[in-house]
Amino acid sequence: MHLDYRLSEDWDEDAMDLSTVAEADLRYYVAPGDIILRGDRTDLSAIWGWIPLIDFALALREIAEALAIAGGSETFEFTESEATLEFERRGQEVAISGSYAAGEVIVPLPVFREQVRELARRLDAELLAKHPELGRNPVYQALNLSGD
Amino acid sequence: MKRAGILTLGVWVAVVMILVFGDRMVQAQSGTGYEAARQVIVTERALRHIEERHWPNSPAKGAGKFLQGITEDSLREFVSEAVANGQARPNTNGRPGQIYEYDFGRQIGVTIDGGPASKLRVVVSPRNQLITAFPF
Repeated sequence: MHLDYRLSEDWDEDAMDLSTVAEADLRYYVAPGDIILRGDRTDLSAIWGWIPLIDFALALREIAEALAIAGGSETFEFTESEATLEFERRGQEVAISGSYAAGEVIVPLPVFREQVRELARRLDAELLAKHPELGRNPVYQALNLSGD
Repeated sequence: MKRAGILTLGVWVAVVMILVFGDRMVQAQSGTGYEAARQVIVTERALRHIEERHWPNSPAKGAGKFLQGITEDSLREFVSEAVANGQARPNTNGRPGQIYEYDFGRQIGVTIDGGPASKLRVVVSPRNQLITAFPF
């Protein structure tokens, strides 16, 4: 599985004060972009430019932990459309499917968890490098995107 | 004896009140209905956010679009109606706030597949501020 993100170049960072924005702003308005999610034969990438990446990383981390602990299935709802990603635990694997694309991506659970954590860490590092003021935002700090 | 009778009558009255008006009590406590609809704050930021992604001429991919002719005023009316009459549920995936979904029974937009959309999803923050709204 290849899991990655791409920050949108159209994001107007100056539209809000990143040191004070609320959680809803962080999860809907800040750091929009694309997600890349591919398996060997299936591409569930969403190259839509508007996906809030902080929200995506946090939601996936929550989903990964829930699947590891309780099994079953979890749904990711995109913030600006009815599209969803479904994550189903099958033994020691996770099957990922999207409402907007055909096929499934199958990945071992430990690999899924590590890639999700790694995506969040990279996003956190990139955002803090580009926007140090985010690091002063107590709401952002509390979200603990890097998971450290 | 007389006191016990009054107590029993009081309990029965309470039970009947809950059975008859229970749904309205829950609705008032949960903040749904017209009271909550009046309180939704529509900020300029939320309007720009929605226009950039969901206006008919928006180039944003993977996002439902309103029909031609939508205005900021008609969007506010859509939002008020959806919050007043729609199904409410807590936001998902650990996000703060509340989601309202309402089927207008007529086309109000276009889905991400290009089909007709008659439903509206409205996301409201814990501070009752509109976060986003889109047809689906």
